[in-house]
Amino acid sequence: MKSLKLLALIIIPLGIIMAAVPADRVKHFQLTADELLQEAGAGVQFVSPDVVADMLVQKDPSLQLIDVRTPEEYDAFSLPGAINVPLSNLLADEYTDLLNQDARMNVFYSNGSVYANQAWMITRQLGYGNNFVLEGGLNYWFGNILAATQPAQTSPNEEFAKYDFRKSAAAALGGGGVVSAAGDATPVKAVKPPVTAKAKKKPAGGC
Amino acid sequence: MGPLAPYEIISENTNFLLAFFIGIAFGWVLESSGFSSSRKLAGVFYGYDTVVLKVFFTAAITAMLGLLFMSLFGWVDLDLVYVNPTYLTSAIVGGVIMGAGFIMGGFCPGTSFCGAAIGKIDAMVFIGGLFIGVYGFAFTYGWWEKMYFAKYLGEPKVSEKLGMSDGLFGFFLILIALGMFVVAEWAEKKFPREEY
Repeated sequence: MKSLKLLALIIIPLGIIMAAVPADRVKHFQLTADELLQEAGAGVQFVSPDVVADMLVQKDPSLQLIDVRTPEEYDAFSLPGAINVPLSNLLADEYTDLLNQDARMNVFYSNGSVYANQAWMITRQLGYGNNFVLEGGLNYWFGNILAATQPAQTSPNEEFAKYDFRKSAAAALGGGGVVSAAGDATPVKAVKPPVTAKAKKKPAGGC
Repeated sequence: MGPLAPYEIISENTNFLLAFFIGIAFGWVLESSGFSSSRKLAGVFYGYDTVVLKVFFTAAITAMLGLLFMSLFGWVDLDLVYVNPTYLTSAIVGGVIMGAGFIMGGFCPGTSFCGAAIGKIDAMVFIGGLFIGVYGFAFTYGWWEKMYFAKYLGEPKVSEKLGMSDGLFGFFLILIALGMFVVAEWAEKKFPREEY
């Protein structure tokens, strides 16, 4: 009986402490500011547009594009297969399953990369993995993938390979159509079928 | 930081090595507490000796408190700790079969190996029965498969089902355990057994 009292004396106070702790303190395993700074500084969240374009052309099912702009902007234009999760609604319950998963590679994008980066920061702080940011955002996407400019004649071969890939990707992803995507214009058909890209990078699927 | 293996802080092989040493320590504690005697386990069901109940419940409470506090300090991610999936029907059926086996045999799988290690013949017979059961189930698996996977509940936690925090449920579990210990000690006085 004596040892029982001793046991009770130890575990009951410990139990009271645990009972008094708010539930979410024991649930989520969050990153410290240090760890987050380190990851953000190293830029591990960025996925280059070429990789994303390649995955889109290949119809890689592990890619999930997430448009964090407003619904109006999303309706006006969005990347193929992207879903709209406005940044202001990021923490809504309905999106938790989408953002906190380990099956697919979520890629946030916005016009630049500021909003997408904010979305990544928030989800990373919550401890979610597998979320990435489209490097440069839509602006860079338009300027370099859809409207790729021919490199100078003196450029190294890699530049030409990249250019060829971007050209064919732009064709496959409905190149010029995006310019007139104000709503009423019919989508312009892709001129060429997706020819095999020359400088094909390996899809970084899943990471 | 933890759990160590899922975060690949230690390799799978190191994990097994640690499990090996923990297993040896576990067996040693079982044996030195006298659990290698079949009377110890049978005593729980007849009420004359409830040490097994007290030891295992104390171990469970200790592990629970340890995990909760380590999670609170950020040392272990409880979301990554493996939780057995629950198949309700097979859990109940299996529990009844195991319980009947414990009463009849006087051993549980762990203590039977302890008993066999110190040369107890009844423990060795028990292990023989254990393997007959394992192979019998494996070879007739097709008959049971439907029941085996019936009433799948996912990986529920009692605290989630009751809608309370893990800590609060843990506190209630501690109270329940202590209440059980009091009842157990009362039972030991009520149903004493002389000759062992």
